[in-house]
Amino acid sequence: MPHNRDAPLVARRHLDGAYFLLSFRHPEVARQAQPGQFVMIKAGTAAELPLRRPFSVMSVDPPQETFTLFVKAVGAGSRALTLLEPGETAQCLGPLGRPFDPPAAGVEALMVAGGYGVSPFRMFAVVLQRDSRPGRLFYGGRTALDLQEREPFAGLGVPVHPATEDGSVGRRGRVTEALEEYLDGQARAVALYASGPDAMLHAVARIAERRALVAQLSLDPWMGCGIGTCLGCVVSIQEADRPQPKLRCACTEGPVFDAHTVVWPGESSSAARRRKLQEVSA
Amino acid sequence: VNLAVELAGLRLKNPLLAASGTFGYGVEYEGILDLSLLGGLVSKGLYLEPREGCATPRIAETPSGLLNAIGLQGIGVRGFVRDVLPRLSRYDTAVLVNVCGDTVQEYAEVSRIVDGAPGVAGIEVNISCPNVERGGIVFGGDPRLTFEVVAAVRNATRLPVIPKLSPNVADITVFARACEDAGADALSCVNTLLGLAVDVESRKPRLAFGTGGLSGPAIRPVAVRMTWQAARAVRLPVIGIGGIGSAEDALEFLIAGARAVQVGTANFVDPGVYERILAGLAAYLERHGIDDINELVGTLEFPRPLAPRHA
Repeated sequence: MPHNRDAPLVARRHLDGAYFLLSFRHPEVARQAQPGQFVMIKAGTAAELPLRRPFSVMSVDPPQETFTLFVKAVGAGSRALTLLEPGETAQCLGPLGRPFDPPAAGVEALMVAGGYGVSPFRMFAVVLQRDSRPGRLFYGGRTALDLQEREPFAGLGVPVHPATEDGSVGRRGRVTEALEEYLDGQARAVALYASGPDAMLHAVARIAERRALVAQLSLDPWMGCGIGTCLGCVVSIQEADRPQPKLRCACTEGPVFDAHTVVWPGESSSAARRRKLQEVSA
Repeated sequence: VNLAVELAGLRLKNPLLAASGTFGYGVEYEGILDLSLLGGLVSKGLYLEPREGCATPRIAETPSGLLNAIGLQGIGVRGFVRDVLPRLSRYDTAVLVNVCGDTVQEYAEVSRIVDGAPGVAGIEVNISCPNVERGGIVFGGDPRLTFEVVAAVRNATRLPVIPKLSPNVADITVFARACEDAGADALSCVNTLLGLAVDVESRKPRLAFGTGGLSGPAIRPVAVRMTWQAARAVRLPVIGIGGIGSAEDALEFLIAGARAVQVGTANFVDPGVYERILAGLAAYLERHGIDDINELVGTLEFPRPLAPRHA
């Protein structure tokens, strides 16, 4: 059950560029958050705009009752958070949303992250290590600056495959190209997990469709409330056995969705539905 | 101090209601806040049938404001009566239903269904949604159609009838009088202001629907002014709405003539908003030596002479 409370900032670390690690005290989020869940959080006076912003929880520390967010200061909401001083409070509601489903036994979790989309995968890597499940991170961005916080993954037994568009670190090109290269070279059972910009999520969904792989996407539409009342964050989702897509709130029914059920802009049905119709006609 | 108010036959334990479209069907907030704190809540707008609403993006933040074009996505009035009303009966709060229609007949039909359902305290008539092709603001932008819809709802129910007025008109008093003449019991003032936000990179609107309704603190002075005008123009009690997020904001509306207020966009920003406003109202009354919040209503001292009220 999500809990709304003032959450004092307990630590702030400025990484390179506009990237920050911000830790807040919030016992319920610290104890209950699962990988892929998020908080709605804002700095400043409670009921004044801007709206709270959704951020995936990067890590939790239950004994300290704290959680950490990986924040890129890009707009009014995120920038205000990064300007908080330790001791000052943010208003925070969480944990919210549907988490990632863990991979089945013997299945390698292939995590695909774009920029600060890496956030939920830190928690996910901790859980994978705890459950002795293999994992691997494909981490992409425009430049080396966008690939912050890679080191902790190695310590969690998760190899990192970096990719940058300018080639400043790792493979030059898109992160999905690095993923496809890996998929081409091995035959073990894998499940894809993706978090990042829409174009990257869509590319991962196409790979999953083409190769018939299990895949989950953490979608990141604009959210107003986080609890399903504003209906601002709806996405078109179509399960295989439904004739029509249905609008689902990314905040309460996501943000994690089966990649095969997502109906992308310009498409009329989901991959799951298309496959089902193919099977029926075959 | 007394925070209870009575208007249009409604007894509210305090003057705070949750505004339609910003509070879902109320049950979404179970576990996050105590719904019994509220004087009342107004459901998301309901038609006869479920609705899908607009394409996305549906919301965009603007300076001190929120621009939205949701398009009245909803579960339909029968789904609400069947699935939601029984859950709301557990709470000590007045439940109002926001009624929509593509046609006058649909408004009346939805109202009849609501009238027969247990646990409903009143009907708010949505003649002001700017984000639908038919209905909504089409009715609320023409005084004759406003009269027609409100009269049809009036004939369909014995519940209090509360039209929600649009601010997208030159003279809101004309519409307030049309509602009064049609037999309304109170007025909700106001819905969102029609707006347009442009993405300069793509040269497209930031919302998929194109235009949207502006809410939040950005519209508060406009809403206070219209509430004040409407309250002076008719004998009906007025419920003030527009950018309320603090006790001081609510007091502005009450002093300008509102008998109660609705909290809208602030629900998204802070689920703790009711607790804060109620504490702030009580503290204000004590500080000013006022026993009863009703004594504040319409006490605005205006700096220049005005035409008599209800002229």
